[in-house]
Amino acid sequence: MPQPKVDPRGLRFAAGITTVLLALTLITGNAWPLAVQTAVFAISVVFGVQASPYSVIFRRLVRPRLGPAAELEEAAPPRFAQLVGLVFAVAGLAGYLTGATVFGVVATALALVAAFVNAAVGLCLGCEAYLLIKRITTTRTPATTGGATQP
Amino acid sequence: MTVAPGLVALLVAVAAGMLISVLKSRHDGRFRAMGNDPEPGKRPALIEDLELGERATLVQFSSAFCAPCRATQRILSDVAGMLDGVRHVEIDAESHLDLVRRLDIRRTPTVLVLDADGDLVTRASGQPRRADVIAAIGKAVDHAHLST
Repeated sequence: MPQPKVDPRGLRFAAGITTVLLALTLITGNAWPLAVQTAVFAISVVFGVQASPYSVIFRRLVRPRLGPAAELEEAAPPRFAQLVGLVFAVAGLAGYLTGATVFGVVATALALVAAFVNAAVGLCLGCEAYLLIKRITTTRTPATTGGATQP
Repeated sequence: MTVAPGLVALLVAVAAGMLISVLKSRHDGRFRAMGNDPEPGKRPALIEDLELGERATLVQFSSAFCAPCRATQRILSDVAGMLDGVRHVEIDAESHLDLVRRLDIRRTPTVLVLDADGDLVTRASGQPRRADVIAAIGKAVDHAHLST
């Protein structure tokens, strides 16, 4: 099995900040928090989750106060989840900036649900989507027998 | 830009988020009772070529990119090391898709608890708590005694 890479507590910390920014957007009707969050999503997607400003804050301010991580986590699924977040955030921004407020609100709210459950119980919906896609697009392994009889 | 739609959406989103969180917390790691109790001597081997523990076997299905699988592996091997006659086996789901389909493994980690005869006593998906694993092993030990 491949070696894990990132501190999962950092991911949940980032999800917490994300939740706050998205909530601020919805509360104030102002697109600026959303714009900041969109930029953060983009940085994570392009440069990896460890390059995210939230990760930097976590490493500098939070982690020194915690013990070492019990285990590390694969970086690829959370990075894909950030891409999903980016898509929703861009949609939300487009909605807010073009006056299609309801569309902007809905996209932002959906992103908030995902960030919220990630921060609250560590459920990464984007990660689950990544795994599902991987499973569907992976060809059948040679080790299986009788797999052809299954639909 | 009006504020009200955003507030409504926020409340709905938080409510939905809390519901999902509660459902996940309740489901994860909870060992479910199996309804079946076939008569002794008529059971096919649940998993072929599986070396059983004397008192119970903990069968864990794992996959790559699965952080809870690592934590579950530590918990299970810890408990198995603590108790006599309990064996922990980890199976990679992706290279045993026939087993995955036959045993209806839908996500990882999934833990199957077998009794001394290799019968399935209880199972859980998601990372279990140590106390729940120990309780499940207790059920497996009882189950073997009841069916003899």
